[in-house]
This record gives sequence, structure tokens and C-alpha cells, in this order.
Amino acid sequence: MSTTHFVSGYWNGKAAGLLASGLLLFSATASAHRIEKHFTVEPRAVITIHNPNGKIVVKAWTKHEVMVIANHASDKVEVTAEQTGNRVDLRTQQLADTVAPDDLRADYEVSVPEDAELQIHDDSGEVSVANVLGDMNVETVAAGVALEDAAGYLTVKTVGGSFQCVRCAGRLEVSSISGSFRLLDLRSYHVRAQTSTGNILFDGEFLPNGIYRLKNYSGVIEVRFSPGDSFDLSATSLKGSVNNEAKLTPPAHPQRLSSKFGYALGTFNAGRAKVELTSFDGTINVRKRN
Amino acid sequence: MATIGCKDFPDYLEPWMEGDRHPDALAHLRDCPRCRSLVEDLKMIQTTAQEWGRTESEPPAHLWNSLRVQLVQEGLIHQQSKRRGWLPSLPRPALAGAYLAAVIAVAFGLSGPVNQRINRARWLEGTQNSTTPLRAQFASAEMNATTLSVPDSNPTVTASLHNNLAIVDNYIVLCEKSVNEEPENELARDYLFEAYQQKADLLAQLSERGGSGR
Repeated sequence: MSTTHFVSGYWNGKAAGLLASGLLLFSATASAHRIEKHFTVEPRAVITIHNPNGKIVVKAWTKHEVMVIANHASDKVEVTAEQTGNRVDLRTQQLADTVAPDDLRADYEVSVPEDAELQIHDDSGEVSVANVLGDMNVETVAAGVALEDAAGYLTVKTVGGSFQCVRCAGRLEVSSISGSFRLLDLRSYHVRAQTSTGNILFDGEFLPNGIYRLKNYSGVIEVRFSPGDSFDLSATSLKGSVNNEAKLTPPAHPQRLSSKFGYALGTFNAGRAKVELTSFDGTINVRKRN
Repeated sequence: MATIGCKDFPDYLEPWMEGDRHPDALAHLRDCPRCRSLVEDLKMIQTTAQEWGRTESEPPAHLWNSLRVQLVQEGLIHQQSKRRGWLPSLPRPALAGAYLAAVIAVAFGLSGPVNQRINRARWLEGTQNSTTPLRAQFASAEMNATTLSVPDSNPTVTASLHNNLAIVDNYIVLCEKSVNEEPENELARDYLFEAYQQKADLLAQLSERGGSGR
């Protein structure tokens, strides 16, 4: 069930010209078209957002309700928000055959229950999600993605957009071509991160039985560890170098690797987690946390 | 005792894959681990292709033709006009959206373990034979994608896709160089394989955007 609180407030240039300068400033920041909708949902609702260009901010709240506030400047696009069962679909629709890039933009603020599942597609702009504990899938081309206090099964795919995950838990799979990744204060038991030319920073916990696979083509992979951590390390750079500050116990059955490779192999403490770092010609740094 | 040698075995390979077990071929396979491994690899590819084909649509015919030409060039099958070949009888794999990636997988599958067991030169030749038709496929797909991607309502996105395509192209060149220098290096081959997958993915995205006009 949905309620529309306010739909559309169109500011034309003539009217705006008559307003005081303060109001002019307000009209420039507030969008020409605003939509606010509320949907009552059951536990584990699915929210899909499809937006070609713009900012998407999703936050969790304690209500069993999805609230959508969307703004767009042009009347060449429209935002639709529809509920089907326990799924809410938000979409920016292009109304004309040709639309200027700025006219394509729509910004979303979405409040969802904590256990909601998200599926977000945003080509350019940015995506920010906080405190959502359900599974999520985010795909972008150029848009950067920032997750905070997220959990569940998280899959993120960008072409050139960067990715940052702060205090995330659960399972994380992220891939990009030129985007860089920052994985901070993570408590994930499974991390798979792969980018071609981007950098990867991992500064999180290595959970017992956790698997952490970080791979790039060039750029820097940096992993930080504490003295109490416990992991098996395999770090290989085909054409680049590996700088390792962890005192490793060599493997019982050492692999035969070409001397041309940069590599570090071995066990740190009891070796409870598995850490695999691979680069083609980038640098791999395994650093002690300060 | 075998009455045919490795040189003659390819003549029996195609019927063999269709279930026709000629006694000479059977005798040769008993004695020859190299041809036995070739048959095992082809069976594996056949099985995988059958699994792909259960749910998917048909790829373009020219892809099958180029694969066949490649197999013939590598001496893995022979042209045969009288009999229906085993390859066209396979169910068609999943190539609708990501068909290039599937071709890559098959091509690398053919040039990998089979050649690895022979020698470095053969390995390299196999890789080149596998990647040369891919380049032609990619060039064609790239041309289509570029043509389709006009008109363009989001130049930021299109520019990002093209920039990243250039990155991947550069990455492919460097990986190929590395594979040529060390054809037996699995890590280098993995990177090359992934670069081709990324390129296929980017071209698919460009085509989709062009196809929808946005």
C-alpha cells in the first residue's frame, strides 16, 4: 500500500525571477520535480532501484516501511515507484528519445527496513548504503559505491567506479576494471575483490576459516594485519614485487615458483584464515597495523 | 598392436566422437597416451557444451564455422563432406549475451591441457591458433558496438566504457606478450583469459546500450 504525499512542484524561470534571492537559491537546490512515497512492507522486502544517472542514498530505519524521496530536474524523465507484493521497484524512466545528460539525472533518498534486500543499478553518479543488513547487489558503470555497516551477501560490480566498504560483515564479492577498493574495519568471512588497474586496501579482521582473495592487474594491493591475527598467506606478483612484514612459517610442502615472481608464502600464527593476494605487475604490501 | 600412428589418428577422431569405434583407432588409443588425452579433452568439451545448450539459444552460425576452422587448422578434426560432423550435432551453447566469453572458454580449453602435455612450441602455437579467431570476433563485435552506441544520452558512461575498453585492450597486449614469453605460465594465461572475459563483458554492455539507445 502506498501514499503519495507530494508530487511535483514546477518552477519556471519567470516565476523564479520574481522571487527574492534567498528563494532563488532554494529553487536552484530543490529539484523541479519531487516525489515522496511510502510503502508498507513485510520482513525481508526486496527493493530495486534502476537509475541511469544520479545519487542514490539508502538508509535503514526501524519502521516496516519503505520511504522514497526522489528528485529530478527535467520533465524529460519521470520516476516511478511501484509495489508488487513484498517488492518495491523504483525506476527513472526516459520520456523522450533524446535527453541531455543533465536532464537524465535523478536523485533518490530511500529509507528501508534493516533486513531489506537491495538491487541497485546506477550507471553514473554515486551509490551510498548504510545500516542495511540484507543481501544486496549493486551494479554501476562510472558511479562510485559506498557501503557502511552492511551485512549479508554483498555483490558489487563496477566498470570504473570506486568502492568503499566500512564495517561490513557477511560475504563480499566486488569486481571492477579500473575502480579502486577500500575495505575498512571489515568483519567478513569471505571476501573476493578483483580489479584490473585499481588499488585494493584491506584493513579488517581475518576471521577463523575466512577466505580473503584480492586480485588486481596493476596498482597496489595493501593488506594490514595485527600481531594476533592468524592466516595462511599466498602473495604473488608475476611481474611486480611483494613487500611482506609478517613473519611467516614456510609451508611444509613449498611450491616451485619461478624466481622471477615476487612472492611471499607461509603461515602467520595458526593459519586459521586463508589470504590469497595476486597481481600481474602491481605491488603487494602486507603491512603490520599501527 | 596398433596399426595406425598419431599422424593418422585425426582421420578416425571425428567418427570416434560420434561413437564409431574403429578397431585401428581403439588399438592406437590403447598405446598412445597423447591421443588418449586428446580424446578425453574433447569429450570434456563436448559434455560441457551439452550442459550449456540445455537452456540457451543459438549462437550465430559464423561462430561455429570459425570454431570448426580452428579445430581443422589445429589438426584436431578434419574437413569431411560425406558425413555429418560431430561438432554441428552438439546442442548450441549459451552464447546469446556472453557468447564471446563462451568462445574464449572453449578456445582456451582446447589450447590448454592438450598442448601443455606436448611441448612449449606446440603450446604457443595452440595459444596463437586459439586467440587469432577471437581477435577477429572481437574486432567485429567492437565495430558493431561502436556503431550501435550512437545516439548517446549519457556520455559519461559511454566514455567510461570506452576508456575501460582501452585499458583492457592494453592489458590483453601485455598478457599476450607474457604468455608468448612463458607459454606454460598458468598465472599469465589466467590473466589473459580474464582480460578476454572483461572485453567480452564491456562489448556486451556497449552493444546493449546502443541497442536500447540509452
